[in-house]
Amino acid sequence: MTRETSADSRVILRLKRSPTVPLEAEVITPDVLGSLSNSEIRSLTVYHGKRRLPLGDFFDVEGEHSCDLELHGNMEKVRWVGRAMSQGSVTVHGSIGMHLGAYMSGGRIEVHGNASDWVGAEMKNGFIHIRGDAGGQVGAAYRGSLAGMRNGIIIIDGSAGLEVGMRMRRGTIILGGPARDFAGLQMKGGTIVLLAGAEIRTGAWMNRGTIISLKPLTLMPTFAFAAEFTPAVIPLIARHVAKFGVQLPSAASEGHYRMFSGDLAVPGKGEIFVWQPVA
Amino acid sequence: MLRIINGKVYDPANGVDGEVKDVCIDDHGRIVESIEGGRTIDAGGMIVFPGGVDVHTHVAGGAINFARAMTPEDHRRTQAFIRTKTRRSGLGGMAPTTFATGYLYAGMGWTTVNEAAVPVLSARHTHEELSDIPIVDKSTLTLIANNEILLDQLEAGAFERAKDVLAWYIWAAKSYGVKAVNPGGVAAWKWGSDAKQLTSPIEGYARLTPGVIITQLARICEQLGLPHPLHLHCNNLGAPGNISTTLDTLKHLEGSRAHIAHSQYHAYGGSGWDSIRSETTQLADYFNTHANITTDAGAVLFGDTVTITADGPWQHLLYKLTGRKWGNLDVENETGCGIVPYTYRPSNLVNAVQWASGLELLLLIRSPWQVFLSTDHPNGGCFWRYPEIIKLLMRADFRQECLKRLPDKIKKHITLPEIDREYSLYEIATAMSAGPARALGLTQKGSLGIGCDADIVIYEEDDDVQRMFGHPRYVIKQGEIVIEDGDIRETPEGREFLFKPSYSPDTEEFIRPLFEDCYTMSFENYPVELSRIERADVIEGVTP
Amino acid sequence: MYWGGNPAECHPRHFTKYTIMQKSKFLPRGRKDRTMVLVDIRETKSVKAADIFLQVKPGKDFELITILRALIKDQEVRDDHIAETGLTRATLEDLVKRMKAARFGCIFFGMGLSMTRGKHMNSAALLTLAAEMNAFTKFVAMPMRGHGNVTGADVIMRWQTGYPFGITFNRGYPRYNPGEFSTVDVLVRGDCDAAFIIGADPGGTMPQPAIDHLRRIPTIVLDPHITHTSKLARVHITTAPQGIAAPGTAYRMDEIPLPLKPPLKSPYPTDEEVVRRINEAIARKPFWLPDGNQPHMLTSQV
Repeated sequence: MTRETSADSRVILRLKRSPTVPLEAEVITPDVLGSLSNSEIRSLTVYHGKRRLPLGDFFDVEGEHSCDLELHGNMEKVRWVGRAMSQGSVTVHGSIGMHLGAYMSGGRIEVHGNASDWVGAEMKNGFIHIRGDAGGQVGAAYRGSLAGMRNGIIIIDGSAGLEVGMRMRRGTIILGGPARDFAGLQMKGGTIVLLAGAEIRTGAWMNRGTIISLKPLTLMPTFAFAAEFTPAVIPLIARHVAKFGVQLPSAASEGHYRMFSGDLAVPGKGEIFVWQPVA
Repeated sequence: MLRIINGKVYDPANGVDGEVKDVCIDDHGRIVESIEGGRTIDAGGMIVFPGGVDVHTHVAGGAINFARAMTPEDHRRTQAFIRTKTRRSGLGGMAPTTFATGYLYAGMGWTTVNEAAVPVLSARHTHEELSDIPIVDKSTLTLIANNEILLDQLEAGAFERAKDVLAWYIWAAKSYGVKAVNPGGVAAWKWGSDAKQLTSPIEGYARLTPGVIITQLARICEQLGLPHPLHLHCNNLGAPGNISTTLDTLKHLEGSRAHIAHSQYHAYGGSGWDSIRSETTQLADYFNTHANITTDAGAVLFGDTVTITADGPWQHLLYKLTGRKWGNLDVENETGCGIVPYTYRPSNLVNAVQWASGLELLLLIRSPWQVFLSTDHPNGGCFWRYPEIIKLLMRADFRQECLKRLPDKIKKHITLPEIDREYSLYEIATAMSAGPARALGLTQKGSLGIGCDADIVIYEEDDDVQRMFGHPRYVIKQGEIVIEDGDIRETPEGREFLFKPSYSPDTEEFIRPLFEDCYTMSFENYPVELSRIERADVIEGVTP
Repeated sequence: MYWGGNPAECHPRHFTKYTIMQKSKFLPRGRKDRTMVLVDIRETKSVKAADIFLQVKPGKDFELITILRALIKDQEVRDDHIAETGLTRATLEDLVKRMKAARFGCIFFGMGLSMTRGKHMNSAALLTLAAEMNAFTKFVAMPMRGHGNVTGADVIMRWQTGYPFGITFNRGYPRYNPGEFSTVDVLVRGDCDAAFIIGADPGGTMPQPAIDHLRRIPTIVLDPHITHTSKLARVHITTAPQGIAAPGTAYRMDEIPLPLKPPLKSPYPTDEEVVRRINEAIARKPFWLPDGNQPHMLTSQV
């Protein structure tokens, strides 16, 4: 496919009519919009409940032929934005509905506002940054699937809901705010960084992978305390997340990590590191 | 009325092998000598087959429905049928939904299916599902070889009584025939054990052995005059070295007619998972010298599927081997069932042996009237993949190519590389239609003879046989064109074949107290009412 | 074992017809040949029927099941972890011993487990416990469902759509996502603009935001009775009560179908008749998707 895009242009979508029922708009991705003209974009099909309507019924569209999308408005009911995208960028000013960036394999999504459940679910690669709060199942596997996110990075500045990183296989999730129950449920690999801790059952049934928490955690009885030290992997992860402006303490003068392994219930070989600052 | 002209007709039931001849269909959907008027299909350059008949499949009832609930991840990635004004929505995949099951079977030219495992206790459920499977005609087999009321009669040596009880059960389930799964083994599974030796007493019984159940059930089925003989899933399924159990089972059947289900799973040598090897040569030899026994391949295709069987103990083992999801259903005193999603991989020695064994049986058993196309859907693979098997049977060079994907060490474990037989179209028509119809005793199916049901599939001749069999040009069900050029045109409701054997009038009162002693529902609610079967086609048994 | 359920009050026939009272070939003394364990957060009327009652602290079911799973595999469990569940090591070790010694163990779990904190993961944990027990003896587990014939709905949705609940048809084929499409979530978020309710009374059981939404949108109720929901509904069609004046099939909690044989006649139509007539009326309207506008089959779903 040949694509006519210019680097400085972007496609701007402004929500002009609030959907009364969920609006399924998986067409809003750089992969679909990138090569289209303004009128082609406006005539793309979205699903308002069961009705098939042109995208132009809900959005004012500015610009064309660009893989950089900008969305404006209160889009809590707009679902599947960025589904399976592989390139380009989506910037959301406002809130966004479920399944943002699900199955994506590349590109960047940035939300200046809140997101709902299933952010980056089963994503293969790419970068998602939510400046506000997210719902549950961030980077998770859909029900029944064996694996959640396979690679990529999800950063949530605020809080997140249940089952963050459920069955994730690789990649990194960083939460600035607290997570609710079952963060890292059935994790198979990858890293979850909890800067503000989590509620209960963190790491339940995890197989492999790493969870780092800067706040104390309530762990399942099937996690064994292994050691009190700062293993070599922490500075590596710290360097990795520093690229996204996240500071992980690792200097011995500041404190150390308590390492737990589990979940023996699976049985698994996951690792949970809980930061213990110097008193 | 419909006339099909200029087609090359393959009708093994009547010895027609590729002859160009006309087929005429009357207003009742039957094949007749000639008609006046009506539509004509010019099948020049096309081949005409009787509609496919699946002798052994699992498409409806508690077990497959449990499998559906267990595999949402498959439903999400599979093909979806979108609702139209005349057609229901549904999903294909490993365990297709009911409406999709009908569309998919008809879509590849199969017009009759035999649901091979129905517990009496939940038969009402199976029939409700079957009436939601459009287009195809259906029959069912009742699970009986672990029914404790019946086993008690066999333990006591009360043969005549056992015969009456079995006959009553068939009619209570509004079924067509009898299926025996791991005789005694599923009953033993209630105790957490299995029955692997045909001559050892079953857990919970003093004398009764699997061997006795097998011999007696085969005799009973014959004496009741069932159109389809005992349909047997042998003990020791899937286990390395189980060929000895299978051959022993066949000895117990000596002299009787029987159908051995999915024999691929029962033809292994070796003593463990590393030494497992195909023993299909031995098994095929037996079939080649015993015309009274038929079988279906239970062929395995590589890929994802979900295994479903009444063989509860085997499924527990499979769960332990795979570490994946496991569902177990115990059906009171009658039978059980296990469900485990499974992926067959060419790189896995055991799976490779299974893949080869299924094809070997189809190729080594000489008469296609004895061995039929099946994957034991969904156990060895999904039924909508049958065209792949047909290609493997018809193209030896394609088989050799597929063999290259298997691990090198496989050579010592299988005989497939040495087989160069290729099925002809006539043999395919036998193994997919005429043969299974005859084994099922469905005289109006699998044949283009005068008076038979006009279930016909027409293919555009094509060197790529997988494409040809996967995409028929026309599918005709009882005289009505249901598929044309890959589109579903009509979705008529199929019939259900039932068999009503005769039994002593006091049988019901004999069973009642035994039932009330151990069941959790009232006896009156147990038998399925005939009025609940939509479009029932009842065949009456004659008093012996 | 009953876990998080109160059959004595909620499923009164369960003990007598199904689990503990029946005499049988291998358990000729009925109740005396069985051991019944009840696990719940409070003493209910079912306690009287139990041989052993384990009072777990609210919200600690998942932890307790996890500990039991560890104990059956002889893994070490810390005393403080056991203490947090409200039970003692001796009690749990005794329970594990009895479970392993049983010839056939059955676990029934109710909404006290499946609808409290942890929800489906509580159920998953208990099902895993039952699966793992099969390394020692025969064990099974089964949910105790809430309303009459909720199992029937579940069973039929599965054979027609592949999914038990939480299904949407808005794209013309079934899609599934509990939490997104399940009734309570759809109502709480206000994701639907009409509601058709049959055989249920969400107005009496659902959270307030869901009830408020039902009040806002056109809600149609089919029910033999006046209910919380019928009172807030725009339309209430009185129907004949199932099993009493309407025939049909009900699925028991173990998915065994039972015929309903109504002893009475009703002047009202059955649910089935009403739905059939609504369907017929809809069929006379233009199809909601213009024909030819959609592929008949999708090979790649959304």
